[in-house]
Order: sequence, then structure tokens, then C-alpha cells
Amino acid sequence: MDVPRLAGIAFDVLSLSSILVLLVLGMGIIVSMMGIFNLAHGELVLLGAFTVYLAHKVGLGVGLGIVLAPIVVGAAGLLLERSVVRHFYSRPISALLATWAVGMMIRESVRAGLHGRSEVVVAPFSGTFAIGNVYLSQWRVAIVLLTVAVIAASYLLLQRTRVGLQVRATLDNASLARASGIATGRVYALTFAFGSALAGLAGALIVPLFALYADLGVTFLVRSFLAVMVGGVGSFEGPILGAGAVGLGSGVLPWVVAPVLADALVFVIAIALMRFMPNGLVHRG
Amino acid sequence: MADTSFLSDHSMDRRTFLRRSALLAGFVAAGGGSFLSACSSGGGASGDKGPIKLGVLTDLTGALAYAGVADANTAKMVVDEINAKGGLLGRQIQIFLEDSASTESVGVTKATKLIQQDHVDLVVGGITSSMRQAIKGPLVERGKTLYIYPQLYEGKECTPLIYCSGPVPAQQVDPFIPWLMQKTGAKKFYLPSADYVWPHTLNGRVRQVVTASGGQVAGEEYFPIDATDYSTVVNKIMSSGTDVVFVTVIPPGITPFLQQLYTAGFTKRGGSVACVYFDENLLNIVPAQSMEGLYSCLDFFQNIEDPFSKQILDAYNTKFPGSAKFTAGSAATGVYRGLKLWEAAVKEAGSLKQQDVVKALDHAKIAEGPGGPAEMVPGQNHARMNMYIAQAHSGSYTIEKNLGAIDPKECVQGVK
Repeated sequence: MDVPRLAGIAFDVLSLSSILVLLVLGMGIIVSMMGIFNLAHGELVLLGAFTVYLAHKVGLGVGLGIVLAPIVVGAAGLLLERSVVRHFYSRPISALLATWAVGMMIRESVRAGLHGRSEVVVAPFSGTFAIGNVYLSQWRVAIVLLTVAVIAASYLLLQRTRVGLQVRATLDNASLARASGIATGRVYALTFAFGSALAGLAGALIVPLFALYADLGVTFLVRSFLAVMVGGVGSFEGPILGAGAVGLGSGVLPWVVAPVLADALVFVIAIALMRFMPNGLVHRG
Repeated sequence: MADTSFLSDHSMDRRTFLRRSALLAGFVAAGGGSFLSACSSGGGASGDKGPIKLGVLTDLTGALAYAGVADANTAKMVVDEINAKGGLLGRQIQIFLEDSASTESVGVTKATKLIQQDHVDLVVGGITSSMRQAIKGPLVERGKTLYIYPQLYEGKECTPLIYCSGPVPAQQVDPFIPWLMQKTGAKKFYLPSADYVWPHTLNGRVRQVVTASGGQVAGEEYFPIDATDYSTVVNKIMSSGTDVVFVTVIPPGITPFLQQLYTAGFTKRGGSVACVYFDENLLNIVPAQSMEGLYSCLDFFQNIEDPFSKQILDAYNTKFPGSAKFTAGSAATGVYRGLKLWEAAVKEAGSLKQQDVVKALDHAKIAEGPGGPAEMVPGQNHARMNMYIAQAHSGSYTIEKNLGAIDPKECVQGVK
């Protein structure tokens, strides 16, 4: 196999993994910190994409839309946590159903807003970089770089700041954190809002690669869920590694088997992995 | 909720429209001094009196809404025209519009309603083959109702009572591929596809024609219908030295596919893309740059030089100025052609009795229509029509070749 071809595959894997990392980062933070699988996560991604579309539609431009998306979706996440999610911290199974219901409401509202159509959102820049006879999409390269930046920023926020310390304290031992004067309710709300904002940013960044339609979020939900499970719940780096593993599988397998089969095979491999590493690739503590 | 309000808007239109057109028809008939038929010889499912009932079952919402809305609009336009001229056999035509929501299970429910509750005489609709397969049970096999399928498709639908008014592979592939190979000097084809019946069957034909014309198929790959990432196949296309990508991925996946193919530099290095359902409506869902230079082969393009086609297009645009345009790949031309052929058949039969209508429909002809004249080929349940090859250029299509009238070659005894 020649070098440019290998470079092409490597870039595919990198770009797929970056997209997945963006998608699972918020989900991973919420599940790790709060013990809740947010099944409305896909719809928060969709809301981010929708925000960009609206911004473009009213003439603010796609670039500004991408900046606005995490803010809008973060606020939506805050609202969601205060109104619904906070009632379910002690009942994670009920939380699955509740968040799924919320997700469905968002999804169908967007479907109605789009009149059931799919819309195109064009990336702020859509050119290509040519390396030999391999062409790399500039927007995909931008996504890879932004993903690295987002990971670094989230890591610093959680590991190096006072807010991060409070979040980690609350996660470790909520009652002790409360006793030490940390407003755990507020920490939960802010963590959820932060995770949601990341979902919104992910939606805003990926929508130019695909198209805006009501099921955009839900198509990625199962894969994100899988990535979090493979990576391991409870650590910051687990979901990221999981996303990398799922991205690697999704990028390489279609070269070996038929694409329809590759989709299923990713799941089979992931399930096998979970059987032998039940705590995920990264096990905390 | 949005769906219901959407539909009730339409039924409101329908009521007011019916009242007006009934009035108009009365004037026309009285002015002419002769009532066409005081008691028309009916016999269809709608009975002998009252309006003729036409079921329109199409995807008004979901991924295929861009096409379904155009189809419903076209049906309304044709019916308005017929009704304004006094109706068919002196009876008005009433449309029963149902939304199959790009989902087969919804389509089956709505098809059953049209047959069992509304007792329609004819149903026109369905866009994907999977939808046709799903609704033909309640419509034709159990419902024994005449069904016109308007969309281009893979062929081989030879169920009695189903008449197809869109193009089939013999019309879309047979002349198109050799022309493309000659024009571009292409030898190597790649066939990325959605995993359902239309791409599978069509690709079989493409492979045959490509091989027979001295070309070669470098790859044929099927993706789940809801797949969104095509970077792997784009990579394979780039590294295999493919000249032509003959794509049968459908919306919404077609948007990311073409964008990914474009950014990979396929067209920049001289490759051609061919997609035989691409029409003016696709300009709304794919950025113009990603489909620059794309070849399509259809029974109508908005730029063809045919005065009557232009007339239909103008009438449609005046009536429905929205984004759902009158195009071929969205089955709007098939709806027009199918309904006009049916009108001709009913006129010839002089009744709505199904056996009489079917007998006449089997050889029905229209002298003018979108793209030119058309006629059902006796015994084949498919229509002979004019075909055109066009190429997308900065947001519109330029006609490359008028292929003239082509036979469907479907349902021929002894030929598969």
C-alpha cells in the first residue's frame, strides 16, 4: 500500500475520532461526574447544529453561529438540569427514560421547525490542503485542531482550577463536599451546563460535514454511548480513548469488510472489549 | 402536531378550492349549453355520483419532503386544470392527500385509510422503491385499486394494476453510460450506494453496460441508508484511479457524500460524478460547488427546449413559488404524466370502471407533457418517454444531449 493512501486512511481515522471525541466529551463529563447517562445528548448536539443554521439564516453568519452554539446549548442544558435532570440523581435508570423523553421532544420540535426537511450548512471555509495527490478538507483539519484545543481547555478547567477542584470534590464525596461548604447543587448544574455546551459546540462543528436534519444527533448517540462504555466511566481520559478506539474501528474496518458489515462489526468488537475489560480502557481508582 | 396542522391547511385549501371550482364548472357547463353527462356512467370505487376520488400518498415530511411536496403540488395543479375545464366525464376530481412521512410503516397505514375509508378510485404516489413495495400491498394486492407509481426506479414492477410513469434503467442507464464513456474517455467506474433495492438492481444494469462498453467497475459498495460518513469510500475512490463515480446514495446521506468527494479533490483531478435522480430540487440540499459538473439523465430538465414543458413549468411556478420545484428526479414529472395518461384512459373508456380504464390505460397516449409526448407501451405497464442528459453548472443544468423517445423494455414476456 502506497504512502499517500495510508496517509489518507490515517487522516480519516484522525478526523472520525476527533468528531467522536467532540461528541463524547460532554457526555463523558456528565456521566463521570454525575452518574447519569444523558440520552438527550444527541439532541443537544442537534441544538448546536440548529443554532448555527438559525444564525446563518438570520444573517449572523456561520462563524458567529459556531461561537453562539455552545452558549445557547449550555443555557438549554442548565434549564434542562434545573427542571428535569436534578430530580433523577438518585435514580439513574429513570434518568435514562427522562432524558430520552426530553431528547425526543427536542428532536421532534426541530423536525417541525425544519418542516421535516434536511438543510445544508456550509463551513466557514471549505477548501482543501493538497499533500501530493491526497487532498485534506480544511474544515476537517480545523475540527481536529479544535478538538485538541477543547480537550486541553476542558482538562485544564477540571484539573487546574478552583471550580474544577470543587467539581472533582463533589464527584468523590458529595456529602463531604457539602459539609466543606461547596454548593453541590450548583456544581451539578454547572457541570451539566458545561457538558451541554460541549455537545452544542460539537453539533456546530460537525454540521457542515453532514447536513442538518432532525435525526442528526440520534445517529451519533449510540456510537457515543459505545465510546464512553469502551473507554470507561469515571475518568476524564476514558471517553476520549474510547472515542479514539471506536473512530479507529469505524475508519479502518470499511477497508477490510463491506461498510454495512463494518458498522455491526464495530459493535461486536466493542462488546467483546467490554467483556474482557469490564471497567473500560481506563479504570479510575 | 406540526404534521396535522400542515395537512389541515391543505384540506382547508381543498374545501375552498372545490367550492370555487364546482361553481366554475357549473358556469362552463351552462355556458357551453350542454351538460356532458347528467348521469355519468361511473362504476369506480367512488360510485357513480359526486366527485372522482384521487388518493395522493407521498412523503410530505421527512428526508424526501423536498420531492413529496413537489409531487403533491403537481397533482393539485393537474387536478385543478382538469376540474377548471369541467372535470372528467363531467365529474369533479377530489384529492385525498396523505403524508407517508418518508417512513414505510406510516405509508402502509395511510394507504389502508385511502382504500378502506376514503374509497379512492386511483392512488398516485410513493417515491422510494421500498415505499412502493410497502404500500402496494394495501393498495393493489388487497385493495384492488389502480396505482400509478411516478418515480424513476429499478424496473421489474409488473404487478397488474400498477402503472409506472417514471423512467427505468433501459431509459436511464442504457444510453447514458456509453455516452458518458465516449464523452469523457472514462473507463473505470465506482458505485457507492445506499443499501436497498433500487441501487442494488440499478448497479447490476450499470455493471452490465459498463462492461459491455469496454469499461470496468472498480468497486461497488453499499452503506446503511442513514450513513453519514463516507470518508473511507471516498478514499478508495481516490486511490483506485476511478474516472466516474456513479452514485446511488440518497438523501440525507448524499449531501455529506458529495461534499466529502468534492473536498477530496475528485473532480479537480478530472473525475466525473453521475447520479440519475439529480434534478433542480437537489440544488437545495447539496451546495452548488459539490455538484459542479455532475451528470444526470432524466425525462425532463427545466432548461429543455420544449414549449409545452416551459408552459407547465411556468404554471407550476406561478401556483407554487416555494422551494419544492417541478422536477423529474423528484417524480413531479411522473405525477403529471401519470395523471394525464390516466385522464386520457378514462376519457377513452368513457367510464371509471376499473377494467375499462385499465384496458385504455395500457395504450394511453398524451401528445404533450413534461419533456415531450409519452405513451404507455401495451402490455408493459411502463411508459415510453423522451430522455435527456444534462450537466450541473453553477446551480443549474445545461442540456448535453436530447436522447429522444426511449422504450422502457419492462415486463416483456420472456425477457427478465
